[in-house]
Amino acid sequence: MAMAALRREGRRFASLISPRPITAVRSSPLYPTLEDEGPLGLRHISTQVVRNRMKSVKNIQKITKAMKMVAASKLRAIQTKTENSRGLWQPFTALLGDLPSADVKKNVVVTISSDKGLCGGINSTSVKISKGLHKLNSATGPEKETKYVILGEKAKAQLVRDSKKDIELIITELQKNPLNYTQVSVLADEILKNVEYDALRIVFNKFQSVVSFVPTVSTVLSPEIVEREAESGGKLGDLDSYEVEGGETKGEILQNLAEFQFSCTMFNAVLENACSEQGARMSAMDSSSRNAGDMLDRLTLTYNRTRQASITTELIEIISGASALEG
Amino acid sequence: MTLNLCVLTPNRIFWDSKVKEIILSTNSGQIGILPNHAPIATAVDIGILRICLNDQWLTMALIGGFARIGNNEITILVNDAEKGSDIDPQEAQQALEIAEANLRKAEGKRQTIEANLALRRARTRVEAINVIS
Repeated sequence: MAMAALRREGRRFASLISPRPITAVRSSPLYPTLEDEGPLGLRHISTQVVRNRMKSVKNIQKITKAMKMVAASKLRAIQTKTENSRGLWQPFTALLGDLPSADVKKNVVVTISSDKGLCGGINSTSVKISKGLHKLNSATGPEKETKYVILGEKAKAQLVRDSKKDIELIITELQKNPLNYTQVSVLADEILKNVEYDALRIVFNKFQSVVSFVPTVSTVLSPEIVEREAESGGKLGDLDSYEVEGGETKGEILQNLAEFQFSCTMFNAVLENACSEQGARMSAMDSSSRNAGDMLDRLTLTYNRTRQASITTELIEIISGASALEG
Repeated sequence: MTLNLCVLTPNRIFWDSKVKEIILSTNSGQIGILPNHAPIATAVDIGILRICLNDQWLTMALIGGFARIGNNEITILVNDAEKGSDIDPQEAQQALEIAEANLRKAEGKRQTIEANLALRRARTRVEAINVIS
């Protein structure tokens, strides 16, 4: 009878333990609740249950620590490449200018995200910005349209839900092979072939440092728009002062230049995003292993308490049994 | 007066220094740039770039890109670049022969174009070594 009651108690508390979220563990009512319940059972939770929980939390901690190391080493590898590619798009910006405010009819938003998860909030911020750009453009006029080109599984999952009709192209599994310029230029070629655009806005996370990732938008304008802006003066005004050689017409050169600019900016954006992904994953896994460590400490305390409680009850039973026999 | 030359490839900054004069191959032929040149923006063909540094000429093989020249600042952005001194003559010669063989047996428009490009690349590399020596 007592055993059945104990088993019942054990099952009741087992179901209480498992779905409990981490934040709730902090609150003090937890422990009194666990120990208050059950007027029948003297042993409240069996040590076995707590020990199982400790084992699984310890495993989680090991896994997250390992993931952090892996992310750190991948970050080191990619970081040098990224810094080297940063110098590439700066001359373009110096020559053609970066005009995010250019008024264009056909906008294409290229959202760059990661394929794998567990990397913190960087993908959600990119998607939020892309959606914001979309809204901004459609708010300023009815004939303006915005299309998406998506790189990476995570953005695809989020954008497919509500903007399915606006998506032109989806590309995933970028990082299967180490990133290099030829691959990205082929990709850029694909995008340019299939999508009509006046302005391309590339949304990615710029890697400022291991703990800071800034969502950025780079704008690449199509040659016609560049001509238009150059004629109207302003920042691009001195483009006209450059004599353009090396081809049949100025237009053809500008077209090639725009394509080259797009592929260079894409290359840099993809590298920066990969860096940010690894950095974000490193910090996410780090905080996760720290949380697991905290949980482990608390579970150890519970375990010890449970163990001592069961020893005490056994002693009481023995002593009361012995005194019953004597007296 | 010297020119500030910067050659960039997607993978790294290839060259960054002051030079006296450069000779660049563009789509419409070779052009020589001296200090105080008028500003131009031009496309760079697959060919060799020669730079004059302290009265010594250095050669590099460039694989297509763009160049911007203005205010005694030259910025060249190319897909790939190799210094003449870094190219192994034997290997370049072999690559040239392989490219020629590939061109001969190329079928279809796409393969012919690719083989042509490979041939021009190999030829440029061989030229880059030969000009030094």
